[in-house]
Amino acid sequence: MDKRLFTYLNWSLLLWLIALYFVGVGNLYSASGTRIESGLLSYAPFYQKQLIWGLCGLGCMLLTLCFDYRQLRNLAWPAYLACLALLMLVPVVGSTIYGAKRWISLGFMSIQPSEMTKLAMLVLTARLLSRDGKPLDWKNFFMVLAAGLLPVGFILKQPDLGTSMLILLILAGMILFHGLKPAVLKTCLLAVPCAGAFMWFVGMHDYQRQRILTFLNPGDDPRGTGYHILQSRIAIGSGELWGKGFGGGTQSQLRFLPERHSDFAVAVFGEEWGFIGCVALVTAFCLFLLSIFATAVQAKDRFGSMLVVGVFFYFFWQICINMGMVIGLMPVVGIPLPFISYGGSATIVNFTLVGIVLNVSMRRFMFKG
Amino acid sequence: MTFRNRRKTDDAGNAVPEKKKRSWLKIQVESERYQPPRNGAILLQVLVGIFFFVFVARFWYLQIHRGAEFSEQAQNNRLRMELIFAPRGRILDDTNKVLADNRTAFGLALVPEDCHDVPATLAQISEWTNLPLDQVWDKYRSDRIKVKPFEPLLMITDMDFELVARVESELINWPGLEIVVRTKRSYPEKDLFAHVLGYVAEVNEREMQADPELAMGDLVGKQGLELELEKRLRGRKGEYEVEVDAHSRMLGKRLTKEPQSGEEINLSLDRDLQEAAWEALQGEAGCVVVMEPDTGKLRALVTSPAYDNNIFAAGISQRDWDALRTSKRFPLQNRVIQSVYPPGSVWKLVMAAMFLENGVSPNEGVFCPGQVKLGNQIFRCWRRGGHGSQNMQSALINSCDVYFYIMAERLGIDKIEEFAKACGFGRPTGIDLPHEKSGLVPSREWKRKRFKKPWVRGETYNVSIGQGYTLVTPVQMAVYVSSLLNGGKLLKPQLLDATPVEVVGTVPASLKTLNFVVESMRKTASGGTARVVGRKDADMGGKTGTAQVVKLRFAAGERRLKTAEMEYAQRDHAWIATWGRKNDKAYVVVVMVEHGGGGSSVAGPVAKKVYEHLFGPDEGAPRPRPAAETPPPARRATPLAPTPQSARPSPEGTPRPRNVVPLETRPARPQPQGRPAGQAPRYKIIIP
Repeated sequence: MDKRLFTYLNWSLLLWLIALYFVGVGNLYSASGTRIESGLLSYAPFYQKQLIWGLCGLGCMLLTLCFDYRQLRNLAWPAYLACLALLMLVPVVGSTIYGAKRWISLGFMSIQPSEMTKLAMLVLTARLLSRDGKPLDWKNFFMVLAAGLLPVGFILKQPDLGTSMLILLILAGMILFHGLKPAVLKTCLLAVPCAGAFMWFVGMHDYQRQRILTFLNPGDDPRGTGYHILQSRIAIGSGELWGKGFGGGTQSQLRFLPERHSDFAVAVFGEEWGFIGCVALVTAFCLFLLSIFATAVQAKDRFGSMLVVGVFFYFFWQICINMGMVIGLMPVVGIPLPFISYGGSATIVNFTLVGIVLNVSMRRFMFKG
Repeated sequence: MTFRNRRKTDDAGNAVPEKKKRSWLKIQVESERYQPPRNGAILLQVLVGIFFFVFVARFWYLQIHRGAEFSEQAQNNRLRMELIFAPRGRILDDTNKVLADNRTAFGLALVPEDCHDVPATLAQISEWTNLPLDQVWDKYRSDRIKVKPFEPLLMITDMDFELVARVESELINWPGLEIVVRTKRSYPEKDLFAHVLGYVAEVNEREMQADPELAMGDLVGKQGLELELEKRLRGRKGEYEVEVDAHSRMLGKRLTKEPQSGEEINLSLDRDLQEAAWEALQGEAGCVVVMEPDTGKLRALVTSPAYDNNIFAAGISQRDWDALRTSKRFPLQNRVIQSVYPPGSVWKLVMAAMFLENGVSPNEGVFCPGQVKLGNQIFRCWRRGGHGSQNMQSALINSCDVYFYIMAERLGIDKIEEFAKACGFGRPTGIDLPHEKSGLVPSREWKRKRFKKPWVRGETYNVSIGQGYTLVTPVQMAVYVSSLLNGGKLLKPQLLDATPVEVVGTVPASLKTLNFVVESMRKTASGGTARVVGRKDADMGGKTGTAQVVKLRFAAGERRLKTAEMEYAQRDHAWIATWGRKNDKAYVVVVMVEHGGGGSSVAGPVAKKVYEHLFGPDEGAPRPRPAAETPPPARRATPLAPTPQSARPSPEGTPRPRNVVPLETRPARPQPQGRPAGQAPRYKIIIP
């Protein structure tokens, strides 16, 4: 491999990735602690596992750097079709967990086709949008939309509102970045509320509607559906300015905070590090996102740029939705916070996607000469 | 693919070169002079900016603006305050016999926050206790709003052991329910001390609002000494700070406030004397006051009929309450302090002192023909034949009404009013019991206000013999008689053993006057109307009274009806006010029998029995004693000195100063040694 490549590598992105990852592991260490008797803490092995997943992720990231990202362009359609096929298989051979059919068991491990679809959609959209730089007209807009809505339909049926929403949001972000013809844009802005209403009355399950109602009024049922929201708000709010200190969160250690390893991990962080810590974390995420953005505008070809924008939105929406949910700005949706929430496959995917961005960044001058 | 084909055709205007042939693993670069869309770049930066400001603002709102509030909620999540109930102080008599005790009671409490299914739990409570489900729900609803979060809500206050065992075995299935140990009040002497002790009952909402120390299910004094001494008896609750996790599991416990048990209080009353007086009344409606004239300490305070105050402590049923409230014999009335009666001839003790202080010579004679006329009204003496010539002492001894009519007429109602009020009548004595009555000393002003009519002379006649509008409580009479013996000091009647003498007033009379009245009482007891209480082995004095309840109207020639022939409610009240002294111990005994009839025949024997308990059986019979045998006047002239203080070993073994007469002069009484076995510990704690 050309040694020059490393001089163009987006080092600040790598730096923020490592920083966020270790903040996440440290936070998981604290969130794993459970007070069993006065003064005694027992630790669940989440943070150790997360370290191992991180190493795996790092490996995948390095692998991603080895080939030119433009190879992905060729893989876009086959990967997309393969994912569609798997999605169609899920209702037939999938296993049901918590009332949702999302997994396909391979015996030694389970795969979640919807997770793969996210990545395949990202690459395919990047490919579709990188044809030319013209704002999308109606025809092309529907083309891209159709490619996106097809798998989303399958995923909604599973049901998995979070993932389908995320795919649509990434798609929307990429389309908006690429640009639309004014007429198309105006029509879309009108159509989104209509689509929302349609989703509410037709597309949603009762429990999903309930979640939104609960979000609007968590006090209605403080021991039931509103419990997550209230307890996470208490956890974060009780951190006040300086926080309760590392390992000092009572809401998490006494298990008042639900899902404190996964979706609500940032509440643990907020409780222990306070407002200062939270502002630092938000800043770190912003700088992380801006580093990705830098690569997106530095990229010298449209496919690479669109790919990085896709990754940007992939992280951006997850951060917004997860943190918004934890601090009560959004309804409860099962989307983890990148690098902070525990999750094996999510960690690997996150590292890999950052690897793609790094790939784009280090190959941005490949066309010169 | 159609998309690709179409794109090729409309690619004409695009400067992007695309000449490389598509092939697998061949890198295509279709936009080498690529510039990112400007609007898109702005969009991304704006999104990040919005994200930053919205989230920082939200964190500020949650953590700084409302941080303290959430911090408190987190504390409430984690820490619960658990109250440690302090047992109420016991009430003992002067020799440590227990009058109000604590017993252990098991209650069933519900912590609604811990309860997963309230309706099912309430249904289970209803099943265990056989209480109607509606009632359980009502209790839950009404109490739910009164308790703080995680405070146990006492659903059942007193379970028997069988039920406790059953509930305990099933408790594991019912999170949120817990068995709590509380103390309950019990009154082993029941009716005997019901009016003095009063009772406790569960605190009501009004009392809880007035006193932040009180919590749901607490017992507070509602009547009698339990009410008066509430603050001293109650003690102070302790507190545990309990750390719990989200499953309400206890992780740690810290004692943040030590409980203090209530004060144990000794009364000056003597249980055995009280019982003797109670039995002497033989179930008649009436009351007995035994007071130490030199200290004001009450030794017995009996009122009859009474009620069992345990039924109040256990929570009285509506039926029992109605029965007590509507009973014709008024068992709820504490007759010693809450009932007012015309004093009858006992009042002459006040009048005689007043005459002397206003210049009437004790030797001045008045002829009693059996009646006097005032206008067309006839005022009779109780003896229809008349007493003949009477001086002040013989008028007292014989209770001659005419003497008092004449003398009162001479001095007038204003002087009577002034003197009687100075003697403590017409106002409460200040005894430590609630709802004491004032009685009434009539006056011109009072009559004008009350009836809008001027005072007439005949009313002065009536007042002079303790009839008419005059109303006193038995305890006022006891205070007055005590003042005759202690040099004129009006003492606050004391119920507690360890209280200092409290002088609330002075009778405006000289020692000579007081001694004259005392001497007259002595003679009355030895040969006059009060000779029933006379004893050979003790120095005794007394004055009887027979107070008419209704104005007698009988035509000339008609004889006065005998007591037994009259309607109960029209029968006279029988009074006797006495004092007795033996071996340096002095007591004032006032007996009042409601509608009992004659003072000497009904009230007298009761007083006699009380003295038999105080002094033992009379050693020197026969009665009546000759008047010559009274002790020399030199001794009588000195008022009774307060008895010296002495220390006596208290049952706990530590010397406790008490205002008591020397040990050797006390009749031997069993002294309890130490705590009885099985007694409650210093405080009870909730067992979670």
